Amino acid sequence: MRPVIEVQGVHRIYETEAGYTHALRSVSLTVRRGEFLAIMGPSGSGKSTLMNILGCLDTPTAGTYRLEGLEVSSLDDDDLAEIRATRLGFVFQSFNLLPRATVLRNVMLPLVYSDVPAAEREMRAWKALTSVDLPEEYYEHKSNELSGGQMQRVAIARALVNDPALILADEPTGNLDTATGEMVLQTFARMKRRGKTIVLITHDADVASWADRVVHIRDGRLLTDEQERAYIARAERKGADA
Amino acid sequence: MKATDLFRETGSALDSNRGRSLLTVLGIVIGIAAVIAMTALIDGIKYALVGQLGLNRARLVYIQCWTPYGSVSTADLDRWQQALPDYEYLTGASYGWGDMTAGTRSSSGQIMGTYPEFFDAMGIKLVEGRIYTDREVDRGSLVIVIDETIAKTLFGEGGAYVGRTVKIGSNEYSVIGVTEASGMTSNSSYMPFTTLNTRVNGYESMDQILGYARDGVDADALAEQTTAYLTSTYDIDEEQGNGYVYVYTMASITRQLDSTMMSFQLLMTSVASISLVVGGIGIMNMMLTNVTERIREIGLRKALGARSSDITKQFLLESVTLCIAGGIIGILAGYGGAWALAGAASNFAGIEGVAPIITANSVMLATGICVGIGIIFGYYPARRAAKLDPVESLRYQ
Repeated sequence: MRPVIEVQGVHRIYETEAGYTHALRSVSLTVRRGEFLAIMGPSGSGKSTLMNILGCLDTPTAGTYRLEGLEVSSLDDDDLAEIRATRLGFVFQSFNLLPRATVLRNVMLPLVYSDVPAAEREMRAWKALTSVDLPEEYYEHKSNELSGGQMQRVAIARALVNDPALILADEPTGNLDTATGEMVLQTFARMKRRGKTIVLITHDADVASWADRVVHIRDGRLLTDEQERAYIARAERKGADA
Repeated sequence: MKATDLFRETGSALDSNRGRSLLTVLGIVIGIAAVIAMTALIDGIKYALVGQLGLNRARLVYIQCWTPYGSVSTADLDRWQQALPDYEYLTGASYGWGDMTAGTRSSSGQIMGTYPEFFDAMGIKLVEGRIYTDREVDRGSLVIVIDETIAKTLFGEGGAYVGRTVKIGSNEYSVIGVTEASGMTSNSSYMPFTTLNTRVNGYESMDQILGYARDGVDADALAEQTTAYLTSTYDIDEEQGNGYVYVYTMASITRQLDSTMMSFQLLMTSVASISLVVGGIGIMNMMLTNVTERIREIGLRKALGARSSDITKQFLLESVTLCIAGGIIGILAGYGGAWALAGAASNFAGIEGVAPIITANSVMLATGICVGIGIIFGYYPARRAAKLDPVESLRYQ
């Protein structure tokens, strides 16, 4: 079966006032269908840039990115919007729900942009909310009346509602306490068991441990576990020498 | 994105900013109110004039003439009529002033001495009784026609005024007819030409001459012909101070009125356009604030698959909806304002019977202006929202 993500030799260079910033250097990554991958790295390592490229919010300066076999690095803005509407689901650190809208309306929001018939939307939102175990009595609540854990589960339901090929989660537990964060991670694990492909970005090793596989990113380069260990060992030696 | 979705999103966005939205559209409300009040009043005034004078107005010629030999007499009018056959009739009127009393009540005002044709020429309508006959004019009968305003002043409400008696000076006159009090003929009373001159004024004069052109005759041309005839007949030389002649038509008055209206219209249009521009800038300002406040929401929508054009449409529709809401309030306020102005006009200037008229055209014009302002002043904020980078917007605090 074709992998969900095939990234080959991707570079991302930003032009800033201070000059050129090389955020990603020759990144290659393959994610199989049904895989739960964690990308770990400290801030400034380029993990957000990678996330934006994987989420079709940004395009690489060089290299190729195939999402379900479709080359997306050369698409224009409208086509990228369509990809986001139909094939991707986002979960953000700060939830990003519409505060005055009800839970149901929040979950249905992506369907507005993927031209799903209005009659079908509520049913789909209902299904997505059931799968994240949010009790039914909250469906008509305004999203700002929920707790953080509930909000993040609504956000996961919103990411699931258009049945995407890939769910991208950027520090989904960053704004939650450990217990609530664990509940959210359990939700992800359940999604994985149901065959969803998930890419989770975090700087927290405990969070990353929930994934099937972890890749590390340092200074814009991807490292495997072994390379990461070698990197840390090198850094520690340097520290001891000094 | 479907139109129904677009409207639903717009509705909930505006609903959550209700207070601010209402304040922001105030400029639009004032501008549209000015447009509506202006057009409603002008249409009302025009309608009042046409309605009052009816079809007669185009055929009416006013003649003011003072000959070197003195005032014009009724016999002179007969000669003019023969010389100028394009007139169906010429009729004279004189003005008097008197206090009318009935019991303890009294009313003072202008009394016109006329021939029966005067009522027809001026389009004065009776609500009760009759007008006087030629015989009554010849005899100088003690009869009077009063309008409803005076009738109510003298006899109170309730009608059945015919047969009552009013006293002017030492004479008693019997009321034979009551006319509609409307527009500029309010507070008027009429008696036979000869009666006014002999009983009230005590001298004979003819203050106003009305000519009524035959059907199909060009009144303006007839007016010129009349001027020429009178000038040569009476050797009138205004520069030498030998009498004067001044002939004008209802059509020329209407034209004059139109130009007066034009300046009123110009004034109101400038008031309206200034407040519409100010209102539009207010809308733009609010939409820009909106965009800034909702940067994260815009980023989110883009991440969820909104195209730039979806974002543009959403913000444009918001500003257009705001303007139309302002327009609706403005139309209502303008209509109310037009009535208030019409009331003020009757209180202070004595112009009565003007009922503001709102036409479908003026409502459509106002709505069109609102949509236009919404698009013009909403476009820049909407484009700014659409151009936002989703990555940066999502990170915006």
